Amino acid sequence: MRHGRLLILGNGGAALSAARAARASGYPGEIHLASDVQGPAFNPMLAPYFLKGALPWERCFPFGPGFYDALGITCHFGAAAERLDARSREVTLASGERLSYDRCLVATGAGPIVPPVPGLKGSNRAFVLRTAASARQLEEAIPQARSALVLGASFVGLKVAEILTRRQIRVTLLDCADQVLPGGAHGLLAAAIQALFERHGVEVRLGCAMEGMEGAGKGVACHFTDGKVEAADLVVVCTGVKPNIDFLDPLQVRTDQAVLVDERLETSAQGLYAAGDASQGINIISGKYEWLATWENACLQGRVAGRNMAGKGACYPGSLPQNIGPFFEWTYAQIGDVKGDVRVHGHSVLHRFFGSPSEGRFLVLAFREDVLVGANLINCARLAGGLRRAIRERWRWEGSAQDGLTMEGVEKALRRGTDDFRSRSGRKRFGCFSRS
Amino acid sequence: MTQYAFAFDVTRCSGCMACVVACQDQNDLDAIEAVAFRHVTTSETGAYPSARIDHFSLACQHCGDAPCVPACPTAAIHRRGQDNVVVVDRDLCVGCHTCQLTCPFGAPTFPEDGRMAKCDLCHTRREHGMKPACVLVCPSGALDVGPIEELSARKAKEASLKILKSIVATSAGDV
Repeated sequence: MRHGRLLILGNGGAALSAARAARASGYPGEIHLASDVQGPAFNPMLAPYFLKGALPWERCFPFGPGFYDALGITCHFGAAAERLDARSREVTLASGERLSYDRCLVATGAGPIVPPVPGLKGSNRAFVLRTAASARQLEEAIPQARSALVLGASFVGLKVAEILTRRQIRVTLLDCADQVLPGGAHGLLAAAIQALFERHGVEVRLGCAMEGMEGAGKGVACHFTDGKVEAADLVVVCTGVKPNIDFLDPLQVRTDQAVLVDERLETSAQGLYAAGDASQGINIISGKYEWLATWENACLQGRVAGRNMAGKGACYPGSLPQNIGPFFEWTYAQIGDVKGDVRVHGHSVLHRFFGSPSEGRFLVLAFREDVLVGANLINCARLAGGLRRAIRERWRWEGSAQDGLTMEGVEKALRRGTDDFRSRSGRKRFGCFSRS
Repeated sequence: MTQYAFAFDVTRCSGCMACVVACQDQNDLDAIEAVAFRHVTTSETGAYPSARIDHFSLACQHCGDAPCVPACPTAAIHRRGQDNVVVVDRDLCVGCHTCQLTCPFGAPTFPEDGRMAKCDLCHTRREHGMKPACVLVCPSGALDVGPIEELSARKAKEASLKILKSIVATSAGDV
């Protein structure tokens, strides 16, 4: 059997998981990896923890520097992919180098979005937090700063606000939405988290956007839509990311927000795969193609893509919106969909609340026709894994609206499925993980 | 490569919690449920006259394809080469709780230092020829440990014997 060339574009969790999976599947042929980033691979998820001081710099590269040689990977570092011709199966790098392939993986990740605010882009006082270089730049800027503006009350935005506060910087957190964590938190929990940040001295300003920025050097003046003007020593932009897929021709490869992939992580172009933040697959809950970018998803998708590129048959069961992390002394997790937009899903969502922020534990479960579809947790992260499993497997809770349901009852049910709480379909959908 | 694992016989477990206490003692854990590596859950099913109570003693399952391993952003969670047991390098843990989100058994715990801790199948004890604390102390022999192939073969043998005995008993009754 002829073993063609595997080409992996990108140098992150998905890219390296794919290379490892291909070798683990016994693939003996050439594996080439091309990226604008010089190895080893940086994990962007660790950037806030590096800034927090929880992890030394050299530990932010979980695959290590010896990964490429150990797996016999030919690296083309320092030049991003500029063009991919899916018909002739050839990639042109920014350096002008051309690489042909038999099977190619697009794992180019995502880059930060900087809103089109006059004066923001290109300012030496504006920072993003995504790549190794951007993490180092922000780390160097923090010691000189006394005040900071964090744009975007997303998960990353909140983490950055916490870190800067812990490092004795006065922080204003700004978001044009009417709550923090607008993407996945129920309003009540979002309010509790906002109150937590305010107790720690963070000024949270919601329903307000920045419309201009002036100045440079040591500090800048920020103009807001409510007419206020405030000075800040640095501005950290946490307004989301977008996939790095500009080098693909949409006439050759189907794209939406990112590259559309099937359960084998294969794109519409033959021999072309996509994984990680550059790909868009099925959301298990909605059944729709959605862009769900997390480190875990990226690594698992990369693994499946790598196996398939090596000629093995592997399927990815789909992703779930999820996030977990510590905020100050709390641990917060969001899984699935707690918002329940009737216009989108056609069914109203029933919310059940357990505990309260003042008790130190707060849990909200969202049911759609008795099926668990989402959960938000404050300080009860021990339930997170069980709830994620129940949401993935579409567990049904008969009588979810009835009184008498307690947090302890939920915990017990998750540990050992009860008569009330059982798999809707009767079949396991946790397919990617097989237990011995 | 040999995969070590726990075996648990639900028909033998009385829910006495001796395994939980032995684990806390072995690992110097505070005697609070939130940071225990092992938990016992009681499940009541059915109704009179066929009501049933079962007890489940659960710790880390050291899954064959453990979801916590690829999810860990620092690669702090990994497999030991000798016995494929899933262990955590606590010095590398940043306390992001991602493992807690991926583990369906609730095995990862976070003590006061904010770094993940969990059952390591008492590998230090096993290296010195001893059984894990929970297995040693279990008064009804509900818990066991060993290579998974051995455990499976033993289970299969026990199940076969049970079936054979029931057939013999039924045949004797017919006579």
